[in-house]
Amino acid sequence: MTRRRFDWPDLAFGAFLIAVAAGTLVATRGLNGGTAADMGPGYMPRAIALILLAFGLFFAGRGLLRGPVGIEPVQLRPILGVGVAVGVFALLIENAGLALASFAAILIAAAASRESRFFEVIVFGLAVTAGAVLLFIKALALPVSIWPW
Amino acid sequence: MELFDNLLLGLSTALQWNNLFYCLIGVVIGTAIGVLPGIGPIPTVALLLPFTFGLAPASALIMLAGIFYGAQYGGSTTAILVNVPGETSSVVTCLDGHEMAKQGRAGPALAIAAISSFFAGTVATVVIAVLSLPLAALALKFTAVEYFSLLVLGLFAAVILAHGSVSKSLAMVFLGLLIGTVGIDVNSGVARMTFGVPALADGLDFVPVAMGLFGLAEIIANLERPAVRQVVSQKLRDLIPSRADLKAAFPAMLRGTFIGSALGVLPGGGAALPPFTAYALEKKLAKDPSRFGKGAIEGVAGPEAANNAGAQTSFIPLLTLGIPANALMALMIGALMMQGIQPGPQVMTEQPELVWGVIASMWTGNLMLLIINLPLVGLWVSMLKIPYRLLFPAIVLFCCIGTYGISNSAFNVWLMLGCAVVGYFFIKVGVEPAPLLLGLVLGPQLEENFRRAMQLSDGDPSVFVTRPISALLLAIVAIMLLAMLSPAVLKTRKRALAE
Repeated sequence: MTRRRFDWPDLAFGAFLIAVAAGTLVATRGLNGGTAADMGPGYMPRAIALILLAFGLFFAGRGLLRGPVGIEPVQLRPILGVGVAVGVFALLIENAGLALASFAAILIAAAASRESRFFEVIVFGLAVTAGAVLLFIKALALPVSIWPW
Repeated sequence: MELFDNLLLGLSTALQWNNLFYCLIGVVIGTAIGVLPGIGPIPTVALLLPFTFGLAPASALIMLAGIFYGAQYGGSTTAILVNVPGETSSVVTCLDGHEMAKQGRAGPALAIAAISSFFAGTVATVVIAVLSLPLAALALKFTAVEYFSLLVLGLFAAVILAHGSVSKSLAMVFLGLLIGTVGIDVNSGVARMTFGVPALADGLDFVPVAMGLFGLAEIIANLERPAVRQVVSQKLRDLIPSRADLKAAFPAMLRGTFIGSALGVLPGGGAALPPFTAYALEKKLAKDPSRFGKGAIEGVAGPEAANNAGAQTSFIPLLTLGIPANALMALMIGALMMQGIQPGPQVMTEQPELVWGVIASMWTGNLMLLIINLPLVGLWVSMLKIPYRLLFPAIVLFCCIGTYGISNSAFNVWLMLGCAVVGYFFIKVGVEPAPLLLGLVLGPQLEENFRRAMQLSDGDPSVFVTRPISALLLAIVAIMLLAMLSPAVLKTRKRALAE
């Protein structure tokens, strides 16, 4: 594979740091930097961003020169399953109540694994939802409604 | 006898019924997550943090501390019986512990592991009590200049002694420091990098960050690997070790305790490094090193004592200086701050019941662990029968509810999701996320002290090297960094961490 000429982990990490540093410099451009004796709010973020930029350039450069090291292929199923489960929970929790949000999160998260079995997940989901409601609302008094109504 | 007064004060706090109760909860949860591979103490502590808000500070810390050292006990059970380390700190216990189990000596192996842990825990409690006073007294003399240098030393040492590439870990520290600057600047009241999101005004909550980076990202990565079938290889009979076993194990236990206590105090120390060192030492000292890896009881006793002692003494920098030695201690700092206590050397004088209560609770906790681990070991083993396909959706759900619960905001859940994606990226490119958490927690203090020091010195950075204590601390940092550049040290470090 020609793509494997570089040290991809280093290159990707370097690019990530450069992006973060650049983003910080843009986001803090309106802040007053001040002087070393009397630092403004922008001094530290900018100083750290510059250091990160240096790190990023170092890793990216090293990644280009070294190698070949690949990154293990990303499997979509786990990250989508877990990611969507968390997202759905965040959308549901405030309006639909804890019971529905929990049950939905369990079902979707279970889809992240190839080994999950349909009926087992339904039963398990109901049990965990009931447990979560009892533990977090009844015992720990989390101020969330149980049901949407 | 100030020491005894303090310990008595601590015991009177730790022995209150409610504190005993929270200690028990902590060590039971700790043992459970220690037994279960795939969930570690960091996400668990992060998960429980929001719910400690309503507790008294001492009860909260006693419970969270119990989770940490309880996990060391549980981790060794899985290591011995299933040959899977429940925690990183019990990797070495697999070597000889599981070998003993295969030879039908699982009972003595478990017993020696528990006894070593208890012994080490007891000694480490005394070590903490003895070392805490002078360290805190020294730290009280610190000004912003020394404190800044101390924080720098803590961060650098944590990076160098921990796993992974030093340069990448350093970059992660700075990334954490950067994230730590998000929010309203305390000095000027100006919002920094909040992107107009009101929820960011108080800065990023570290609980969603920790759960995303450690909890969820780890789950996603676990799911990509093929599932491991776990079989408990042995029926458990006669737990009581023979006199010969005890005689062979005792010196190893002593050495392990010493190594663990010493390494645990260092920044970057904790429970992971000491057992490897202890195992290497036992192997070197043994008359017949070839027995190791084939069920040598010293290979269980030494590392088990070391990881438990290390887990406990890593509280010393936290309790005396307010500096976390590892990511888990960073979460403890978070727990203190949630209680409205600014971590630092003053905590020891201002909140003696808290500090000494936590120290004394480690001893009561260890006693409880000995009792709940040995006779009830069968119960814990049966937990291993819960398949991961059921375990992980429940963990995902608890992470969601826990993050939501910190401030009842869905924003934190989204933040956790973002951190999970970033954490997954870090795992893919082989970067350790722990230094980021240290940077995030220490960032605000570091900036505050840096700014104050620079104000005092009129913007002259030489103040950090002209003051003797500060200069000494920074010199240690410089020596460590230079040493890391030397190939010989690099090689030893690689070997020490890889072994």
